[in-house]
Formats: sequence, C-alpha cells, structure tokens
Amino acid sequence: MSQLDILLLILKVAFGAFVPLCFIAVLVWMERRGAAYFQDRSGPNRANIFGYRAGGLVQNLADAVKLITKEDVVPGHIKHKFYFVLAPVIVFFIALVSFAAVPFADALVINGKQYIMQAIPTDLGILWFLALAGFGVYGIILAGWSSHNKYGVLGGLRAAAQVISYEIPMGLAIVSALIVYGTVNLTEIAQFQGQLLFGFIPMWGVVLQPLGAIIFIVAAFAETNRTPFDLAEGESELVAGFHVEYSSMKFGMFFMGEYVAMFTSSALIVTLYFGGFQIPWFSTETLINHARPVAILLMLLLPVFAKIFTFWISKNNRSHYERVDDPRVREAQVYIKGIWGLVIALEIILFIYLITVSGGVADAILATLLQIITFLVKTTLMCFVYVWVRWTLPRFRYDQLQKLGWQTLLPLSLLNIFVTSAIVIALS
Amino acid sequence: MSGKIKIMERKGKDLYERLYLIEVFKGMAVTLGHFITNLLDNSKLYVRHYPEVKPEIPVRWRGRHRLTAHEDGTMKCVACFMCQTNCPAKCIMIEAGERVDGKTEKMPVKFTIDLLECIYCGYCVEACPMDAIRMDTGIFSVTGSERKPFVLGLEDLLATKGAFTEEEYKKGGA
Repeated sequence: MSQLDILLLILKVAFGAFVPLCFIAVLVWMERRGAAYFQDRSGPNRANIFGYRAGGLVQNLADAVKLITKEDVVPGHIKHKFYFVLAPVIVFFIALVSFAAVPFADALVINGKQYIMQAIPTDLGILWFLALAGFGVYGIILAGWSSHNKYGVLGGLRAAAQVISYEIPMGLAIVSALIVYGTVNLTEIAQFQGQLLFGFIPMWGVVLQPLGAIIFIVAAFAETNRTPFDLAEGESELVAGFHVEYSSMKFGMFFMGEYVAMFTSSALIVTLYFGGFQIPWFSTETLINHARPVAILLMLLLPVFAKIFTFWISKNNRSHYERVDDPRVREAQVYIKGIWGLVIALEIILFIYLITVSGGVADAILATLLQIITFLVKTTLMCFVYVWVRWTLPRFRYDQLQKLGWQTLLPLSLLNIFVTSAIVIALS
Repeated sequence: MSGKIKIMERKGKDLYERLYLIEVFKGMAVTLGHFITNLLDNSKLYVRHYPEVKPEIPVRWRGRHRLTAHEDGTMKCVACFMCQTNCPAKCIMIEAGERVDGKTEKMPVKFTIDLLECIYCGYCVEACPMDAIRMDTGIFSVTGSERKPFVLGLEDLLATKGAFTEEEYKKGGA
C-alpha cells in the first residue's frame, strides 16, 4: 500500500464514522427548531457561549453536559445487568456501522487506480444494510426485556412485531429496485442513476420505481421507529416504551442511535431512489471533463448564496422586543463576517485551483468534493422529511400499523415486482 | 322513549381518503407552509419572549395572597378562621389573639400561608367576610431555591400591595 492508499483509507473511514456522529448534533437541532417552526413556536434559542447562540446549536452542548453528568441509574430489580447495558450499545453501534456501505461519492480515480468512496469498500452494498437493519431491533428488544418492566417489554414486543411486518415490504421494494439496477453494489446503483432518461430526466430511482420508493420510504420510517410508526416508544400509552428504565448516557445512546439510524436510512433512501451522490445533469465524467467551467460557475454562485444567507441572518437574528443596543444584531454581524470570510477563502482556493493545478488529479478531487456535498445536502433534506413527517402525522394505532404493513404494503410491493420485471424483460 | 336518532356520516371511507397518501401530503403541505413562513420571518412566531416581555395579568387572576388593611393602616382580618376552615389544601395557619387597636375583639397574632401547599383555588378570598384576604397582587411567578421563603408570615402578607386599583378590582367581580 502506498501512502496515498493509507491516507484515503483513513479519510474514508473517518468520514463513515464521524459524519453520522456530527449529524446527531445537526439532526437534534433540526428536530427541535424544526418542530418549533412547524408549530409556530421558536424552539431552544437561548443557550449561548459568550452571547453566541449559533441559531440554537449551542443547546446541544447543554443537553450533552446534562446527560453526561446525570446519575447513571441501574434499577435494583434488573437481573441481567450485562444485557441491560449492552442494549443501547447495540442500537447505537448497528446504526453507525450500517452507514459504512453507503457511497458518498463516485469512485475516485487517481493515477489510474480506483478508490471506492465507501467507509468499507464492500460489494455487499444493500445486503449489508438489510442484514444490519434487522439486527438493530435486537437492541430494542433486549432493552425492553432486560428492563424487567411491563412497559419496556410491551415496547420491545411492538418493535419486534413491527420490524417483522415491515422488513418484508422493504425487502421486496429493494428486490424490485435491484431488478432495475441489476446490481447490489451501492456505488454501481448510484452510478446507474447518473444516466438520463429520454435524454433530459435524471434516471433516479424515484422516477423508475415510484411505487417502490414510496413503499421503501414508509418501511424505512417504520424501521427507524420514527413517527408515525414509533409505537415502541408510544409515550401516551407506554410511558417511554423500551427505554423507560434507562437514564443518563445510556438513554443518550438510544437517543443518539435513533438519530444515527435516521441519518443512515436517509442516506440509503437517497442512494437507492434519489440519485445518491449524483448531481442532476452533471455526471462524474461531465464534472471531470468540464472542471474549469464548473469551478468558475461555483465562484459565481458562492457570493450569491452567501448574500441571500446573510440577508436572511440579518433579518431574523434580532430580538423581537424593545432592547437597548440589541446584542443579537451584533451577534448577527459576527456571523455575517464569518460567512463572507469563508466565501473569500473558498474563492481564493478555487482561484488557485484554476490557475495552477486544474486538469489531472485536482479535477477528480473537485468532482469528488462536489459529490460529497451533494450527497450530504440530499441526505439532510431527506432527514428534514423525517422531521417534517414526525410533526405532521399522528401515531398509528397498533392494528392499523399491522394492517398497513400486511394488507397494503406487502401486496403492493409484490405487484411492483411483477410489473417491474415484466417491463424490464420487455425492454431488454 | 323514542329520541331523535341522528346517523353521523362516517368519513374516511371513500377511495380518495383510503389512499391515505393524498391526505398525508395535504397535511404535510399545511405544516410546511407554517415552517416556511416562520423560517423566512421569525417575527411571525406566536411566542412571547417571556422573561423580557411579561404577560398581561388580568384583574381576576389569582396571584399570590395578601392581607388588606383599613385606610388607617390597621388590618381588616378578624381571625374568624373562615379561610383556614375553607382551605382545601390546608395551607393557612392562623393563631388568634386579642385585638389591640380597638377595632374589634380579635386579630391574628400569626397568619401563615404555606405557598408550597397552596393550590391557588381562591376559596379563602371567597370565604372571607371582611374582604381581608385577596389574591390581587399580580404575582404569578413564585420561585425560590429553598423552602423557607415560600412560607409567608403576617408581615409579608400585609406588606404586599395590590396590583390594581379598588375600582378595577370591584369591576373584576370580586
């Protein structure tokens, strides 16, 4: 292995491990502020460090300090302490590891050598996710069972029944997607979606498989135990469900595991149905071959976006009551200066790239970086859909949930397989 | 016994609603509308910026208690124990003594209200025949870091002033 190999390996694994962790903070923030805005509230916006609130992101630090310094209680009635402690670890770890097979950029070609942009460059792809997603619920069942609490056990039972009902439509939806893509490798699936349908529509999974996409998204909501399928938690009937006996950071692990699972399944939905890392109409070859115009376009677009963003900040980051020398306005000015500083730095980097190193390896790296950003933006939008649905739809009743799973999604996904295979055979 | 029977129309049975997804998208459009308006202009949030902007307290609001006094400064309370008897939370403790200012025969020597027990029902105010106890201080936030300050004595109760004028208070229906 050359030094470049090792460097890229470290970078890929670091991306696969740390990006989901960073996204916990972003998602918790997005959930709380988003929920507030959906309900015409303002959400946590007071916590600050020297007056800097970062739009409420600082609240996460306060929450983390609170969770870490809380007393870590293991109730006396618990017989199997090992399993009790193991359960949140399983939930968190499985959610984190299942992201490893998701490609976040197209294969990077440096000096004729291909580097697959996955944390674990495996061909298993979707199978890796299916194997692990089913395993994640063991943590929930184990938590419910080892809590020795009727609410916990009921929560665990519900999670188990729910996952059994929804793994099947999910698997069948993936089967029909795989018939279209002809591969289980997620990088190849995303590459397939870089093509154009009839020459102008991006050939995303959602265009080729609209029904499959809906079934998969619904099943993914059920898999991650998010509303409207969060019966395992069901605080109105089960107190807190499977994590009722957990406190402190053990609860924090469940909490973070839920958000990592949300991130992972968003990443997978994006990869399977929304083109993965592909920028619509800009395939990897187009990006690499036209790297200079793309860079110039970026240099032009960056200040425009920064202008809009800074205008939004200066409009909204102020106090809505009489206040002498509003500190929030001063805070906003600091943010605006920071954003312009960042824009100038990026412009300088792009300019240096244009006059010195453009052409060759640098073009490929630029394309990869753009694809990573695209992938993260798409995943964030999908996570926003999770938040959006959570604050719109009420929870399903248990029998409605099972009815939807077995009587609607299962026949629909079977029908989808038949129709898809018929069309694929007819076209080939 | 033949009452009128009204058969309610059951909703959610036609195909359009049973497709479910369309209704889901409609609901999501509503919430997204709220989100976008609030995101673009957060002054439209229905939020009171509480510690800085105080809520307006109406006259009939049952706030912290106080004991009223006559115009010459002597207390109206005659230690009749009506409020203490009426109190469902048993938070009023009165100790009666002989009146010294010559108004009537009795007056309280001790008049303690345990605010941690009080449920702010206002029965004491209604029971009082002398209009001696009122809850018109407008104090709605009773906080402290230990238990002791929550037990109000006679002096505390007499020292607190009402937040409204006599006319306003009377108009409030008391």
